[in-house]
Amino acid sequence: MSIDKKTPPAIDAVAEPVSAEYGRASAATWRAFRKEPLGIIALVIMLALILVALAAPLLAPYPASYGTAVLQPPSATNWFGTDSLGRDLFGEVIWGTQQSLLVAAAASLIAIAFGTIVAVIGAYFRRLDGMISVIVDLMLSLPVLPLMILIAALVGPSTATIILVVAAFSWPEVTRIVRSQALTVVGLPYVDAARLMTTSPTWIIRKHVVPAVTPVIVVSVVVTASRAVLSAAGLAFLGLGDPTTWSWGRILYEAQQSGAMSSAWWLTLFPSLAIFALVLSATLLSIAYNDARNPKSRRR
Amino acid sequence: MSLASFVLRRLGRGVLTIWFAVTVTFLLLRLLPGDPALAVASPNMTEDARVALLEQYGLNEPLIVQYGLYLWQLVQGNLGVSFTQSIPVLDVLIQRLPWTLLLTGTALVATVVIGVPLGVIAAARRGKLADRVVQIIGVTGQSLFVPSIGVFLLFTFGLVLGWFPIGGAYTTGTYGAEWYLSVLSHLVLPATSLMLIQLGSYVLTMRSTLIDALGEDYTVLAHANGLPARRVLWKHALRNALLPTTTLIGLQLGFLVGGAVLTETVFAYPGIGRGIYEAVTQLDFPVLQGAFLMLAATVVVVNMITDFIYGILDPRVKTA
Amino acid sequence: MNRTAKLGALAVAAVTVLALSACAPSAPPEVEASAGSDTLTIATTTDVVNYNPLIGNSRSDYWVTNLMYPHLLTIAEDGTKQPQVALEWGYVDETTGFYEIRDDLTWSDGVKLTAEDVAWTMNAVKQDAPSGTFYGQLANFESATAVSDTRIEIDLVTADASIVEEIGFWGNVIPKHVFEKADSVADFPNDGSDGGWVSAGPYLLTDVQVGQSYTMERVEDYPLVEGGTPISAKVIYRVFPDVNTEILALQSGEVDLIANALPPAQVETLRGTPGIEVAEAVGLGYAHMTYNMTKPDLAKLEVRQALAHAVDYETIREVVLQGQAVSTGSSPLMPVLGDYYDDSIEEYEFDTDLARSLMEDAGYEAGADGMFPMSFRLIYSLQDSVTSQWVTLVKDSAAEAGIAIELQGTERNTYLAQTNAGDFDIYAGNFAIMDDPVTNMTLTYLPGGVINYTYVDDPELSELIITAQSTTDKAEKVELMQEAAAIVRDNVYDNIMYTQNLYFAHSDKWTGFISKPSELLSIVNPLSIASARLK
Repeated sequence: MSIDKKTPPAIDAVAEPVSAEYGRASAATWRAFRKEPLGIIALVIMLALILVALAAPLLAPYPASYGTAVLQPPSATNWFGTDSLGRDLFGEVIWGTQQSLLVAAAASLIAIAFGTIVAVIGAYFRRLDGMISVIVDLMLSLPVLPLMILIAALVGPSTATIILVVAAFSWPEVTRIVRSQALTVVGLPYVDAARLMTTSPTWIIRKHVVPAVTPVIVVSVVVTASRAVLSAAGLAFLGLGDPTTWSWGRILYEAQQSGAMSSAWWLTLFPSLAIFALVLSATLLSIAYNDARNPKSRRR
Repeated sequence: MSLASFVLRRLGRGVLTIWFAVTVTFLLLRLLPGDPALAVASPNMTEDARVALLEQYGLNEPLIVQYGLYLWQLVQGNLGVSFTQSIPVLDVLIQRLPWTLLLTGTALVATVVIGVPLGVIAAARRGKLADRVVQIIGVTGQSLFVPSIGVFLLFTFGLVLGWFPIGGAYTTGTYGAEWYLSVLSHLVLPATSLMLIQLGSYVLTMRSTLIDALGEDYTVLAHANGLPARRVLWKHALRNALLPTTTLIGLQLGFLVGGAVLTETVFAYPGIGRGIYEAVTQLDFPVLQGAFLMLAATVVVVNMITDFIYGILDPRVKTA
Repeated sequence: MNRTAKLGALAVAAVTVLALSACAPSAPPEVEASAGSDTLTIATTTDVVNYNPLIGNSRSDYWVTNLMYPHLLTIAEDGTKQPQVALEWGYVDETTGFYEIRDDLTWSDGVKLTAEDVAWTMNAVKQDAPSGTFYGQLANFESATAVSDTRIEIDLVTADASIVEEIGFWGNVIPKHVFEKADSVADFPNDGSDGGWVSAGPYLLTDVQVGQSYTMERVEDYPLVEGGTPISAKVIYRVFPDVNTEILALQSGEVDLIANALPPAQVETLRGTPGIEVAEAVGLGYAHMTYNMTKPDLAKLEVRQALAHAVDYETIREVVLQGQAVSTGSSPLMPVLGDYYDDSIEEYEFDTDLARSLMEDAGYEAGADGMFPMSFRLIYSLQDSVTSQWVTLVKDSAAEAGIAIELQGTERNTYLAQTNAGDFDIYAGNFAIMDDPVTNMTLTYLPGGVINYTYVDDPELSELIITAQSTTDKAEKVELMQEAAAIVRDNVYDNIMYTQNLYFAHSDKWTGFISKPSELLSIVNPLSIASARLK
């Protein structure tokens, strides 16, 4: 769909007046954010997950290649139960957090970097904007998962593949979000004033446009990351994930392959909860942050 | 702008999108590492058949010639031959297409039917408990992982409660009215899974656009004119909120189709999505390519339909 | 919204609905209900991709076509061949074999099944070379002749003591009057488009819903089953994409039987599930690793021995196979082949210290990290979930002995291509049905053999095998084979890890199944299906 006035203001970005007083605005945002309980909870969950990923070796030993107690339900020895090779599910989920967060972070960073650059360039250099918005539209209208599957199958499953594939299809969304904000900024008087001072577009972009779109970028980081988690898990579930590292999608994939999904409910439940926790907290964070920084919605 | 030029513009964009999808597929297979011959010639083929096929696709020619040949094949409806089944890809996919259409169509309709009232409730009772609940439903919905939901529904309602059948699109051996009924009962669980992941963003968007619409000038004017609040809501604000959410359906369609791949896999639903899953394990590239193109074309067509509806609803688009 | 616009909206909506309903799947045509009786519904994970029994493809192909095109011979639990279409078989002289067949079989269109069909089938396969196991058995076959309505004689290129039984077991009989319409049986799709299928029973394919279900109806006259008529009126194969949905469908009663073998971890779970029974089929195949002797390191006997001693066979069988696998003593002669099995051949002992010292004997020195300065690339198919599981165990235990193994799992086609090209150090895979040691060893251990993945060329071994090929005396053959097996084992020309028994789940409402070895037959072989009945 075209990115013109008919596009609804998406939940994840609202184009509104940019505050020129950046410092005070962020402080006000934080104060408003703190008051929103859901946002705080989401932040806590997110930080907890990041902590788990970083502290994985301390929390659980790396899952062994096999164990003797096969397909056991959760118990005192195996908090989350065991899988079809007797491996400890708790360990798998803990170590899977590393991989899932890594993929989400890397993919979204690449997507955001690329998407932002494209959006900002398009907003600043109006001639390119037409072509850019057409490409973005086209990419957004394609069914992305089948294409990701095709590429992953061609190149072969590995962590790098997943990251690049997910990033390649996440950047248009970022561009869409950032572009509307960037367009607003570029139209502002102080940017015109800056143009009088210098002919270097890079300087203007770096000094003025980018800081102004930063709040939108922050929002899209979390949104893109959460979508990346779902895409990566989806690919792993279909068997296109990295078979040498543990990830949440891989746990589900192996449960399915071994026929255990129908009887070992714990194999589906715990990784699903992990995925849900990560994505939910990211989504809530972005909403809370969005609400907090928008002066209009602060007045409730 | 007139309706006619609007229609033309949309058609043009639709064709452009399909062309884009085709080109992307072509470039992917030619430019990615690996043997591009993999994409058309099965490794199990006899050498003669393989050489013949490679010549047909001109894989020894310069890229631009290959592209021309590829487009020419497509226009003739030749999507290649499946590696595993040795029959044309088009034949493989064409019988699966109706089921995917049925599944995604039902999920879409259910999303709108359930999403609109929920969004309205949330907007009308903004800030109150009902609004909170709807927001929670919305955010939760956006965070669901389709296979998990599918397995959960299958297990709970299919096995434990036994309310719905497991797997397949219909019960073999039924005819006439009984067949239609079995199609429906096999449709419920997969369509529900798909709907649940769509519902979240739809409801939230509905809610926020409706809230904005309620704050707009024309709404205030309507209130000022003494129109009852409910009438304002339903007749004016809602209709205008429907515009962007119609657009949203189109935007989300690509995502929905992706969800269909995972759903059909879990539920053994014989659509294109499941065709993709089976083709992936065998690295049956012609089928994967063809499936992607077919799905892209579906998305484009439905997008055009929603845009036409949008064009009719939007008073800014004048009829000729 | 003005009236024109409203009408326009309605028009679009109507067109959309019409368009979608035109695309909507249509109901199958009404078919006359069949007389009484029961339907056996069988679940499978693979779709039927081809209906020509001469071309090898998916398991479902085999299961469905087996119910229509019979084999001359079947197999018993100990691997010996049993009569089916053929009542008697053997050799007239060294280069001539014979089959005597039943005279009471008819094709479903009324034409009698005679020796002419059998001879014609063999000749057509030899001539048109369809790619499949049938053609693979015909290396020494020259031609077949129907001497009478019930007797076929085959001419061999050279003396071959196994070929009569192998052709009889692996080859189908196809109706000459149907298949001769094609230019080549190798290309004939046999998709029923020409008025449906023709079957010799017990069942005839009547309805195909691609990707969904394959409906077969009873062929009334089937002398091979007790009572002369198959019990179930209909058999329906239903396709599920994965084993989880199959298991759920079995539990909910939607299917009565799962045709594919259960993953080992599910066997106990399903045994304990009320309403479900688990039947066992003796395994006729084995899992093995072969070491590519064209690579200099692996050409050394000590290195191969080291690798063999660095595998924890017991654990693999206990954990991955859940105790459902049995050791063959690292010998290619499996316990199930009672006549051939030699229990004096022992399995390699799992001893990482021994492995390490063997490597040192071969002249290698471990570095500071305890690992020897090389790495072996092991290929396996990602679609084979059981192998995928134990290769990681192999890698880990080899690492304990200081030997580095790099795992390379690929999808099936790439795996097959790599295998054929010899593009590996270690090959891990499965051999599905090993019913005749001589045939198997010919293909596996003779230089240039089709599945000689170890690239062995041992003159002593080769001579034993070649002699056995023309030996008709069973006792002599057994002795030669046992000698050959010992050589294979001692020289690590093949590392046979286990033979796996297979388990199949079915509803406890059904009984009467007759189990035969291997997944291709198990309880879905024609005799079993024809005899199955509701309790």
